[in-house]
Amino acid sequence: MARHLAVGCAGFIGVQTLVSDDREIIQRVLQGEIDRFAELIARYQQHVANITNRHVPSDRVAEVAHDVFVRAYSSLSSFSGTTPFEHWLSGIAVRTCYDFWRARRREELPVSALATEHQAWMDHVLAAESDDQFREQARRQEAAELLQWALGHLSAENRLVLTLVHLDGYSVREAADLLGWTLVNVKVRAHRTRQMLRALLLERKRQDDDTTQR
Amino acid sequence: MTQLNDDQLKKVERALTEAHRSRHAPSLGADWSSRVLRDIRREAAGHGPSRVALGLDRLAWRTAAVAAILALIFTGSVWLNTNRDTVELAALLSNELDATVPLTE
Repeated sequence: MARHLAVGCAGFIGVQTLVSDDREIIQRVLQGEIDRFAELIARYQQHVANITNRHVPSDRVAEVAHDVFVRAYSSLSSFSGTTPFEHWLSGIAVRTCYDFWRARRREELPVSALATEHQAWMDHVLAAESDDQFREQARRQEAAELLQWALGHLSAENRLVLTLVHLDGYSVREAADLLGWTLVNVKVRAHRTRQMLRALLLERKRQDDDTTQR
Repeated sequence: MTQLNDDQLKKVERALTEAHRSRHAPSLGADWSSRVLRDIRREAAGHGPSRVALGLDRLAWRTAAVAAILALIFTGSVWLNTNRDTVELAALLSNELDATVPLTE
């Protein structure tokens, strides 16, 4: 993705230095200097928080990020160093989020669980003519809540794929790499989940209109 | 408006994507880091629950492998014994048939 690759020459040197520092710290930790792991936590805690925040509810981000670092420590000896530590850690973060949703019972929330403001939000988005109006609508709490309502209808697998591919904008290959799944699995799920999201939005719109007409 | 067309659906999807990307991650803080490090030290000392869970996981996988091998051996032995029995039964029957031939003639 462009945002990961967009580093200038100076930035590239900086990243290289960081990577070698990471390896040195990891070696020290594996040799028994456990407190050196604090440096990795300090360096990557915001990165992990950013990932977990996009997948789990805000009030659970700290707890899931905590699990990510404990897992990373437990499997530190399996870090080969062929990819940057940040990338390796991202995979653990995504898979921890996946486990978070697998452990939870899926919430089948009915349309009636949404308030009138949520039902009106879609009409406001469609009526938005300028970019500013559109962004203002997208920033509203109703948008986030409607998205959570839709994601609540999906399985843990589909939820993760939809979030990574369609919402975060990762390529299918990148998402497969992060999840440790096959390319075909992610590709098929990415297609299906988009259809599911669309079906949910259409159904919601139809029910809203029925309610309005009554 | 009773139905959404493709462009309208894309517009709603784009708004939801924008909403998703505008989420701000909370700052985790120093206390959080201390708690993580404390759990990692416990993990290193072998008192952490995850180490026990990891041990159980490994044990389950090893047991599964042994169970699979035993199942294969059992299936193989049953198959071989069944075949031998069939051959023996066939031989016995054929002997009996041979023995009965003169009597029926």
